Amino acid sequence: MSAAASAQGDDAAAYYVYGVVARGDGADAFDGVVGLDQAHEILLIEGRDVAAVASEVTLGEFGDDVLTSNLRDPLWLEEKVRAHDRVLAAAVERVTVVPFRFGTIYRSLDHVRKMLDERADLERTLERLRGAVELGVKGFLSRDAVRDRLAAEHGLDGEKPASGREYMLRRSLERDLDDAVQRLAAELADDNHERLTGAAEAAIANPVRAADEQPEERMFLNGAYLVRVDREDGFRAAVASLDSTDARYEVTGPWPAYNFAEPSEDDA
Amino acid sequence: MTAPSSTPALQQQVTLLELVDRVLNKGVVLTGDVTLSVAGVDLVYVGLRVLLTSVATLERLDRESR
Repeated sequence: MSAAASAQGDDAAAYYVYGVVARGDGADAFDGVVGLDQAHEILLIEGRDVAAVASEVTLGEFGDDVLTSNLRDPLWLEEKVRAHDRVLAAAVERVTVVPFRFGTIYRSLDHVRKMLDERADLERTLERLRGAVELGVKGFLSRDAVRDRLAAEHGLDGEKPASGREYMLRRSLERDLDDAVQRLAAELADDNHERLTGAAEAAIANPVRAADEQPEERMFLNGAYLVRVDREDGFRAAVASLDSTDARYEVTGPWPAYNFAEPSEDDA
Repeated sequence: MTAPSSTPALQQQVTLLELVDRVLNKGVVLTGDVTLSVAGVDLVYVGLRVLLTSVATLERLDRESR
């Protein structure tokens, strides 16, 4: 009883799982990488077909009692979220990983192995993600650029209106600007997502931020794309060729395939 | 990746937002042994996102007013 009680104490070990790789994969990809607690190195816990990318943590930091309050501490959370990604990013483009969401913790190695063997879909997900990374693309439409272009198209190029007619024209352009931006954003969103999807293995259009959050820069695209490593240059070229008349694009990654990690219908 | 118009602090927030959108909101969801309930992480995600977005907005307003 006393042994069991002490095993539940603050120093008791638990295993935080970052994701899984195919068994035999990534043997050296995580060498020297430290885990969430900055103290323990990454270990691969092997199941039948796949292995968990994990590190030891203590229940003093990740146990039920403390975790809830730690999660409410933005500084603690930022550090851990960055560390979670740092571990997986260390191996991105070298080994295929199915990333887990933050906070998957087991109390023993056996529990980790049991989970691995119960989730046969993980191996199919690994197959689907093999050799691919995730790239994020955000598209922003400049309200000023749209305004200037529309004004120029109507022959309004001076700063000051030269006539009453010009003044009225400017007023009506300003009044219709929201609609014009809205229309353009919708067109660009569909068209660009379609073109980028063509250069990727899979694609997800995530919600864009609210239009009024940053009105002068309207976000119209917040896409995640699963791209094979050998097609990454081609994908980036596709981004560079998108319509940038009034728009700009931000590419992030390569990321582990967070957006494509949940089992698809094909994996089930 | 760095937009020339952004301050380093703002850029860092944007990057953290990208991270949070993935690490707290995507990836395989499994129930481990420690009760970090799905609802718990979801709430943390929503709260942190609001915080980060408002920090980014404040920094932008600050930048524009200079």
